[in-house]
Amino acid sequence: MPQNNTLIYSSSPHIRSKITTKKIMQDVCIALIPATIMGIVLFGLKALLLIFLSCFTAVASEIIFNLINKKTFIQCVKEFDYSSLVSGLLLGLTVGTNYPWYTVIFGSIFSIIVVKMLFGGTGKNLVNPAITGRIFIFISFQSVVGAWVLPNVNSIFTNNISTGATVIESLIKNGNKNLSSLDLLLGSRVPGCIGETCKLAIWAGAIYLAVKKIINITYPLIYIVVEGIFAVALKGFDFSYFLPSILSGGLIFGAFFMATDYTTSPDTKTANIIYFICLGLITAGLREATKMEATSFAILLMNLTVPLFDKFIINKPFGYQKQKKIKGGEKHE
Amino acid sequence: MSILKAKKTSHGSRIHGTKISNNSPIESIPTPNVVYISTSQHIGSPAIPIVKIGDKVKKGQLIASESGFVSANIYSSISGTVVNITDLINGMGQNQKYIVIENDNLNEEMILDPLPDKEPQTVINRIRIAGIVGLGGAGFPTAVKLSPKSSIDTLVVNGAECEPYLTCDYRLMIERTDDIYKGIKIVADALKVKHIVIGIEINKPLAIEAFSKFSDLDVVVLKKRYPMGSEKHLIYATTGRKVAPGKMPFDVSCCVQNIKTLLACYEAVELNKPLTENIITVSGKGITEPKNLKVPFGTPYSDLIDYCKGLTEDAVKIIAGGPMMGKCLINLNQYTRKTDCGILCLKPNEINADEPSNCINCGTCIKRCPMHLSPVYIESFSLSGDYVNAEKYGALNCIECGLCSYNCPAKRALVQSIQIAKTKIKEMKNNATK
Repeated sequence: MPQNNTLIYSSSPHIRSKITTKKIMQDVCIALIPATIMGIVLFGLKALLLIFLSCFTAVASEIIFNLINKKTFIQCVKEFDYSSLVSGLLLGLTVGTNYPWYTVIFGSIFSIIVVKMLFGGTGKNLVNPAITGRIFIFISFQSVVGAWVLPNVNSIFTNNISTGATVIESLIKNGNKNLSSLDLLLGSRVPGCIGETCKLAIWAGAIYLAVKKIINITYPLIYIVVEGIFAVALKGFDFSYFLPSILSGGLIFGAFFMATDYTTSPDTKTANIIYFICLGLITAGLREATKMEATSFAILLMNLTVPLFDKFIINKPFGYQKQKKIKGGEKHE
Repeated sequence: MSILKAKKTSHGSRIHGTKISNNSPIESIPTPNVVYISTSQHIGSPAIPIVKIGDKVKKGQLIASESGFVSANIYSSISGTVVNITDLINGMGQNQKYIVIENDNLNEEMILDPLPDKEPQTVINRIRIAGIVGLGGAGFPTAVKLSPKSSIDTLVVNGAECEPYLTCDYRLMIERTDDIYKGIKIVADALKVKHIVIGIEINKPLAIEAFSKFSDLDVVVLKKRYPMGSEKHLIYATTGRKVAPGKMPFDVSCCVQNIKTLLACYEAVELNKPLTENIITVSGKGITEPKNLKVPFGTPYSDLIDYCKGLTEDAVKIIAGGPMMGKCLINLNQYTRKTDCGILCLKPNEINADEPSNCINCGTCIKRCPMHLSPVYIESFSLSGDYVNAEKYGALNCIECGLCSYNCPAKRALVQSIQIAKTKIKEMKNNATK
């Protein structure tokens, strides 16, 4: 029989589920594996290098930040919950292979230190670190990385888009619908970011997350469909734009992996539905207005509104409706 | 007679933990040598001892009498001598008055006088005198519950037993079906209700079968989902009625009774036996032989654990009650009470204890909360001392079921913070009225 001093005392509940933050983040990493592999297959070793640099820098900057904050190395390892790895991986997957290697390192440091750690670490960030990192690179290194993602080396489809625009841009600007939906789905012959081109791999990851019940797949689907419909509406209800619009650019990747980020999405069901509808509208609107891929900007913008959603949309307690009726009844008495 | 599927379910979630002792019949333990009977085994004011040190008492003799409207009589559970009446700090860390009775092995028993008639008022009075309280865990005097302010049209029998590990209600339902049925009829007659529903979770097919033979009972098959046994959620699942926040079941013309309570009512009314014993599940992977036991009140927990062949080497947590809402013990100086349902001895791999980390704002607690609250916000208000806002977010509606903490991936102690907030809000309100 154990001694009294070996007993654990705590408040109820005395059993806990096996889900931990660490396991959730590990599952997100697993879900990103198909996209990573397809990215490397499509874009070559440069892609692998960028992804590795991004992940390594992200994890290293988190640990160094914690060490500066007088935590021991063992503590750092113990507290490591894979969330910085997820951010690093997401950032690595959302850059193009034309990006010089150092831009990715700067972006990764920025997203972990400035966006996440300075606000208090995991769960305290206001905006999605990976998206902010990507936008940071895009804005700060514009002269180096070019106008936007240049077509990649492996792409066969270079004759039409020599300006270095992604499919979505050429789609918006020139009404170019030369690419078949199948190409867009598989990511072959499509210029773009490392992880964003092969939609099939993204879908595989998303389904894994949905099966594991880490994300509610309805919300990103709402986002994608609303975006498609609004894009169609902006083009004067030309429904041939629907599929290319939702299959191109970073929309699907952003919808499944960026917009669903726990920290930067609302908590309640109602708030989430409104949030994802707004995301869809803003993405389509920005794409049309700026004539360039705007998924990341739309998500960044909407991230900033999450505290408002959380403040103003709160679930009513169980049985709330009934209370009103009873109140009315009491007045009659 | 009809078997219905549950009409509606509110949020809630499944929880791990198997009912290990499902197939072990209820056993009586040998009468303990000494019992420590607490005078505070129910909600409300403690009972007042009416025996003195040195008195001879029989089993079923009144030893402490109720001290108000919300209070309950306490009877001796063994025959013997009162050796002490003292304040003790029990295994839960509470300081309570205990009546210590030493067994004289004479097994003398007293019963109450037979009832002159079966009028509702006589029956309710008998239930009060027999010291029956809600045996599901709340400990609210049953007689008070049977004297509602408004009329009742439905009696809901709680056979959900939604907490993992606990099996005492289940065993009773299949072993003493007829007695429970008689108890149900007694209570239904006392309340003058015609419509009786019994909610049983789908993982208890034998119990569902046992009760489906009665023509005037509606058996409602409930989903296996915690907290199905909570009054408000059971009413919603069985009748579709919603109890508004701050309201009681009688506001929707329902009365919920627990299986054990109904059995106690039967014994008090038909067999004239006062409440002196309880059925307790001793379970968990940390106990050598999980069992369902019939025990007199006041039996030391160590006796029960010894009867089940003791703890295993790596048991790390001992809980009085269910794993979700029970209380953790700091030592084994705890004695069985009316409201006990189980003693659980858990191993580390069952509790999954972990250090709390930052909230990742995943919203699982909000998604799971059966009361549709936002535990994460109430917690942050509670931690920052902003109890006014905690109340605004509905802290007082919390039923402390523990699902938010259970599901939290960051392992935050959400319920604990909400409990603190509730206490503080009540204090604030009391101060304001003064």
